[in-house]
Amino acid sequence: MADAVADRRERAGGTVAPINPTGLAQAQLGMGEPDWLAQRRLHAWKVYEATPMPTEQMEEWRYTDLAHRLPLEKLRAPSTVPLPDDPATWPEPLKRTMRDDHDASGHLVLIGGYVVHTTIQPSLASQGVVLTSLRKAVDEHPELLEEHLATEAVPPEDGKLQALNAALWTDGVFLYVPDGVRLESPVRVTSWVSGAGAAYFTRTLIVAEPGSQISCVDEILSEDLDSHALASTSVEVIARDCAEIQYVALQRLGRGVFYQSAQRTLADRDSTLDSLNVSLGGTTTRIDLNSRLLGPGANSNMLGLYFGDGDQHFDHNTSQDHLAPATRSDLLYKGALDGESRSVFRGIIRVANRAQQTDAYQTNRNLLLSRGARADSLPKLEIEADDVRCSHGATVGELDEEALFYLMSRGIARSQAERLIVLGFLGEILQRLPLGGVADKVTRAIEGKLRTAVHA
Amino acid sequence: MPENQLVEGLDLDQYKYDFRTEDKPVFRTEPGLSEDVVRAISAHKDEPEWMLEFRLKAYRLYLSKPMPTWGADLSDLENVLDQIYYYVRPQDRMKNSWEDVPDNIKNTFERLGIPQAEQKVLAGVGAQYESEMVYHSLKKEWDDKGVIFDSIEDGLKNHPDLFRKYFASVIPPADNKFAALNSAVWSGGSFVYVPPGVHLDTPLQAYFRVNQERMGQFERTLIILGEGAQAHYIEGCTAPVYSTESFHSGVIEIVVEKNARFRYTTIQNWSNNMYNLVTQRAIVNERATMEWLDGNLGSKATMKYPSCYLVGEGAHGSILSIAYAGDGQHQDTGGKVVHAAPHTTSSIVSKSISKGTGRASYRGLCKVHEGSTSARSNVECDALLINDTARSDTYPYIEIEEQSASVGHEATVSKVGDEQLFYLMSRGMSADEAMALIVRGFIEPIAKQLPLEYAVELNRLIEMEMEGSVG
Repeated sequence: MADAVADRRERAGGTVAPINPTGLAQAQLGMGEPDWLAQRRLHAWKVYEATPMPTEQMEEWRYTDLAHRLPLEKLRAPSTVPLPDDPATWPEPLKRTMRDDHDASGHLVLIGGYVVHTTIQPSLASQGVVLTSLRKAVDEHPELLEEHLATEAVPPEDGKLQALNAALWTDGVFLYVPDGVRLESPVRVTSWVSGAGAAYFTRTLIVAEPGSQISCVDEILSEDLDSHALASTSVEVIARDCAEIQYVALQRLGRGVFYQSAQRTLADRDSTLDSLNVSLGGTTTRIDLNSRLLGPGANSNMLGLYFGDGDQHFDHNTSQDHLAPATRSDLLYKGALDGESRSVFRGIIRVANRAQQTDAYQTNRNLLLSRGARADSLPKLEIEADDVRCSHGATVGELDEEALFYLMSRGIARSQAERLIVLGFLGEILQRLPLGGVADKVTRAIEGKLRTAVHA
Repeated sequence: MPENQLVEGLDLDQYKYDFRTEDKPVFRTEPGLSEDVVRAISAHKDEPEWMLEFRLKAYRLYLSKPMPTWGADLSDLENVLDQIYYYVRPQDRMKNSWEDVPDNIKNTFERLGIPQAEQKVLAGVGAQYESEMVYHSLKKEWDDKGVIFDSIEDGLKNHPDLFRKYFASVIPPADNKFAALNSAVWSGGSFVYVPPGVHLDTPLQAYFRVNQERMGQFERTLIILGEGAQAHYIEGCTAPVYSTESFHSGVIEIVVEKNARFRYTTIQNWSNNMYNLVTQRAIVNERATMEWLDGNLGSKATMKYPSCYLVGEGAHGSILSIAYAGDGQHQDTGGKVVHAAPHTTSSIVSKSISKGTGRASYRGLCKVHEGSTSARSNVECDALLINDTARSDTYPYIEIEEQSASVGHEATVSKVGDEQLFYLMSRGMSADEAMALIVRGFIEPIAKQLPLEYAVELNRLIEMEMEGSVG
């Protein structure tokens, strides 16, 4: 223990710890965490060590060479010295995005894997809504965390990277909405990471009690980095009976970053659990999203949007698990790919035998904007109930020449016409989940990428 | 009583090909597989040295490759593979005249209606019994035009250069574990060559029968269509029902040269104790067309994905697949199209029906390589579930490296609607009749492509399987 104390002192000087069992001890143990959490981290580390590194020989990773894209041995745990809760000292892109997010029920800001700022409307706090850092929640809401954190939604057994995150997470978001409380505006989470060579591990846990309603926009950004970095996040979203949740993950990281996000949504009886993943930045994006419809009448809309250029690689791995009767899920992921970018969509609908009267839909559409772009699509179905309506579809194609011709015949330059078509194509996703400010922000980001696109 | 009437009189609820013939093979290897078995097969066929080397190399590849962990449940297969006979020779040499075929084998095929069909509508017929082709014949007019329709062994003996040029060029032994196994122990199958410009206007048919218990059948077929040639090849497969498992693993290689057109139709109706793991692939050259019509109705577990490699500009590939999975059956079927040249087009249409504890899985690949400009592909999969213990899966792989490609995939899964049933029953149909009518309508787009006698057969099968399905 004396060593751990010495390590803490050393870290206070801003040194970094390697990602290995010693690093785990340095980063996490002996920091006054309760016993159950320390045990959970150790267990997760054991799962991590016992789980082989995914390779392209494994079905779920056959299009993403993880070992090559994520040299874990070269990464270090980040410095544990958070920036002060003083917006004046924050990086300019973070300040800019905060200014756009004025319509909010609350704000939470993470910098370098630690929560530095939290505000929530006092009226909501008085109704029992909790928006706080995960580290604080361990002390303040131990029962809820012990019940839900890395247990039913994203346990370490889900995979190598999920286990690593469960062992090494530094901080994250805890959002709790009591029975029947409904929030008018979204909760805004903004996470800033910086530092080439670092690996950031954060988690988000959202629990909406029966009849409550909440939306959360979880945005992560960074500057371009000149070497590898990892932003790993595990997202657990739980909707109790009749609750409504909209969860938006907005990824606008800089080049060099490997963004790995494991998300699971659990929808109880008659709840609605919608998600939107917008993947724009980073060098590699890997999202595993599992929507579980656990109670009769549960409903899940799953939306995704990606736009790649340069050598970006997106791998979206989704699953829709219908485990109760009369459930409904509808997935639409659309992407445009420019430069040498590449996307992988792998989705599966599983309808259990008991999930009769289920409607499940899944669509993936891709637009190839350049010769070097590539799209792989694997929309799968496994149906064990007979009274179901299930369909899926996937398309890959280029810009519609007739639509281009039409616009150009109206005097619009070709490059501008191309932009309009791409924006219209991707805009369908944003229209389906109109959350304050998200559509504008994403549209601006896409326009920014289109301006730099090589073919323009 | 004539044989055919006997078949007609069988209880329709039974698998109608479940009859056995008592016979003594002239030779068979010991059960199980070893290098000695491979050498014995080659020696019995009096093969050139290169073929023995090829078999031994393939045997080592087979041992080195792991059992697939995807698709059908193969966990019992290792046991089966240790116990089956890999080579059973039913007669001393192949016959070209029906009268010369031994009576017991002749009776079998007569019950299956083979020689009658030949006289009526076929250009040529081949019949395989256990491990060897027992009969092959081709009508004289086609023989005169240079068409070759032989057993694969005679292809090797009589046309060594043509054979060696194409053999294993489409499906090398390293392709997959079962292609390696077939390459090691292959026996029987057809060798077909249609010279440039020759249009065969009636089909060639090969019939495969496994009679003995614990039998492994490893037919190997090589088909070459010369430039501008046209042909249609039909294969049918049946076996009696035994309590032990049997195994069938064929390799079918097809080369369709420039401007040629070829259709390969399979009606697989193995008994439901048969593992059926088949590799079928066609290389399709410039402006040529390849059509697979694949019907999988029988077997315990089938894994079979007919493929078109579109390597010439303007080549077209089409796969029509129909699968029926009844109690205890798993049909893991589909198709693959690989676009490797500009302006290539393809389509896959798959229809499956699952009933009882049956499971029908569509597994397919559509790949467009970079440079295959303006490639077009469309995939449609529809699945029908007859009751709530049946299962349907769809596993499509779409890999697109070419910007100007246009690729679409669509699939639906549904059950027979109560309203549809109610409507038909209100018109005086029984529940079973109504169900059979709806199912027939569902598969009609594929059934109408079948040769008439097979379409009739399929409809009868569906009627019989739908008995008692509404409840």
